[in-house]
Amino acid sequence: MLTREEGEEEQEEEEEEEAKGRRRAFSVNDNVDLLAEILGRLDGRSLAVAGCVCRLWNAVGRRDSVWEAVCHRHVAGGGSSAADGGCSTRSVVAALGGYRRLYRLCIGPALDRLAGSAGGRGSTTTTAEAAAAHHLSLSLSLSLFSIDCYERLGGRQQRPASLLFLCKPVDVS
Amino acid sequence: MSSSFRSDMGTDPYDSVGDDRWIIASASDRGSSRGEIDSLLHGAGYRVRSTDLRHVAIGLEQLESTMVGHQCVASSAEAIHYNPSDLTAWVDSMLSELAPDPHLLRHPQSTATANTWADPTQQRPSLHRLENHHQHRNVPAVSLQSMDEEEDAAIRLVHLLVSCADSVQRGDSEMAGSLLDQTRLALARVNTGFGIGKVAGYFVDALCRRLYPPPPSATGGGGSAANLEILYHHFYEACPYIKFAHFTANQAILEAFQGHDRVHVVDFNLMHGLQWPALIQALALRPGGPPLLRLTGIGAPSPDGRDALREVGLRLAELARSVQVRFAFRGVAATRLEHVRPWMFQVAPGEAVAVNTVLQLHRLLGDRASPEGSDAAAAEPIDTVLEWIVGLKPKIVTVVEQEADHNKPSFLDRFTEALFYYSTMFDSLEGGRVGGSHRGGQQQQQTVVAAVAEAYLQREMCNIVCFEGAARVERHEPLARWRDRLGRAGLRAVHLGSNAFKQASMLLTLFSGEGYCVEEVAGCLTLGWHSRPLISASAWRADDADDASPPRDHQTLVLQDHSSSITSGSNNVVDGDDHLHQHSVMRSHMGSSDRINDTGSGSSCSRV
Repeated sequence: MLTREEGEEEQEEEEEEEAKGRRRAFSVNDNVDLLAEILGRLDGRSLAVAGCVCRLWNAVGRRDSVWEAVCHRHVAGGGSSAADGGCSTRSVVAALGGYRRLYRLCIGPALDRLAGSAGGRGSTTTTAEAAAAHHLSLSLSLSLFSIDCYERLGGRQQRPASLLFLCKPVDVS
Repeated sequence: MSSSFRSDMGTDPYDSVGDDRWIIASASDRGSSRGEIDSLLHGAGYRVRSTDLRHVAIGLEQLESTMVGHQCVASSAEAIHYNPSDLTAWVDSMLSELAPDPHLLRHPQSTATANTWADPTQQRPSLHRLENHHQHRNVPAVSLQSMDEEEDAAIRLVHLLVSCADSVQRGDSEMAGSLLDQTRLALARVNTGFGIGKVAGYFVDALCRRLYPPPPSATGGGGSAANLEILYHHFYEACPYIKFAHFTANQAILEAFQGHDRVHVVDFNLMHGLQWPALIQALALRPGGPPLLRLTGIGAPSPDGRDALREVGLRLAELARSVQVRFAFRGVAATRLEHVRPWMFQVAPGEAVAVNTVLQLHRLLGDRASPEGSDAAAAEPIDTVLEWIVGLKPKIVTVVEQEADHNKPSFLDRFTEALFYYSTMFDSLEGGRVGGSHRGGQQQQQTVVAAVAEAYLQREMCNIVCFEGAARVERHEPLARWRDRLGRAGLRAVHLGSNAFKQASMLLTLFSGEGYCVEEVAGCLTLGWHSRPLISASAWRADDADDASPPRDHQTLVLQDHSSSITSGSNNVVDGDDHLHQHSVMRSHMGSSDRINDTGSGSSCSRV
């Protein structure tokens, strides 16, 4: 019958479409949440580099949630945050300037400093990085961060310099 | 008359009595009276008066070094050498021949001090002679090891400084002045860019100011309060001492505030309030939510009408608002701490009080009565202040003080201690700077910061050396004495936990200078440079501060304060006459001042 033939034709066309879809490569850019999840497993420097790939990656790489994952991965005391505890931490950090800024100003330079000093003493890089990560705690970073935020609040002529003792990275924001 | 030749064994200005660091102590121990021939050397064939022994020994040293320096001993035929058995004259003649230097003339003071007994002045000319001799010796390019030279020069510099301080203590300003000149000459030979040279330079200036005090200049207290804040801020940035103090104190305060939902912190020196953002943030994140935080900051009154305390309070309040911590601030402006009275804090009943003093308590001390005696006899401002601190029934009192004894009764002791303490401090500043960042601009900024930090330390040093009485406020005392003092006042020590220690160690690993060390001493933490502790942090509590959570009475009182987030316009300006305008208002508001101690009957323990 005519209708059955038409139905078969449509079915064939759908199958062809599906086959075409299967042949097309899966791009992570189609699923930004997945992208964010992956980027959140990088270390700070790699994440910053990833932000230079394209606009999409730049936008995703600037998400505070991504940087939050990075921060917690690299400092002690952050990984074990409970659900509600994490919420309040999140709001406080957001008020102080966000996780990305926290990493840029405090955690990143501190980790560099710790790795540098540990490496200078002759230990292997892997253990040095691990040791550095354990030495630094989220609470200390947050304290330093809050002092810096407070200094910026002043808006005085003096530049906020309480974190001068850490290496101040170049400002690219 | 003085000459470099000893033609006779006449009156001798040198006295064998008196301590000295140079020579053969045995010479002075032989105990013979003036003019007697030394028996032991006589047995060896030398005729030397025991009073000349020191002189001879120095001369022999000089001879030896001179002979080493000279490639050959040039002896002119016309020189007259005395019989070596007359050692004194022989040494003099050899010296004057080998190093004919007008500076070798003996110091003209010999006549004035000939009659004094047990007078260490007489050794000064020998130092003078030796110093100039060494100066002279190096002018020809004799190749001695320069490292030893540096060390020698540094050691001599220190000796000169201490001798000068000694003469200042004895009131001998003429001698002190001449020693100062010699010290300046010695300074010229030492590298004053770093290390002992730099510190010595500052101390020389301080001694100079003490000897010749400058007229009271126009730049009095006006600019100095703001300047002091700037200096303090740079000192805060350049080295970890104040950061360590803040972080350790905050940790202790945080632990003491556990379970309390109304807390009050009294800060004895607010400055820029850099300690408090970290506490506000930590309170915001504590399990159970943040308490109502009240902060009372004591500070110097600002001269130009600008209310510095209020500005700091506003900034802190803004930060607290952003992290959603209920916050109230009050500023108390006072020129001296002892003018502050506890009712100015308006401590509400039921609040947990923390008193925080960072490098402040030592300003309240007075002169010590005797070197080892107890201080309980004299009534000092510190006792009054400690009394009302205890009266506040604080949950925690955090005390951070310099770990040094700069309040000894003897000026010389103070001077020597300060010399070594501040050398170590300056060393740590150096160490922190050298290992710093590699970027050029930042390094420049760090250098500026370090230089201003040194100015801050220099101010302290000057105060220790130049002033006396009420003007000398930098009366540092070591931790052991503070323990006794605070214990007598009724405070019991609180062990700073391992968290504080870990946090301090962590903080230090971030600082580039690798010589810093944190140690725990009986529950108190000290931070030092290469095992010399420089600053100590300890925590105390009142004996009978109850541990129950505060009751929820008197809530209206608290809310009234909270209605405006800053208690604006309620700064109490205290001048020397203790004359306050709002005195009566405060009284009616709070009742009598004794009521501050009333913690109320512990009824319902409720938490937010």
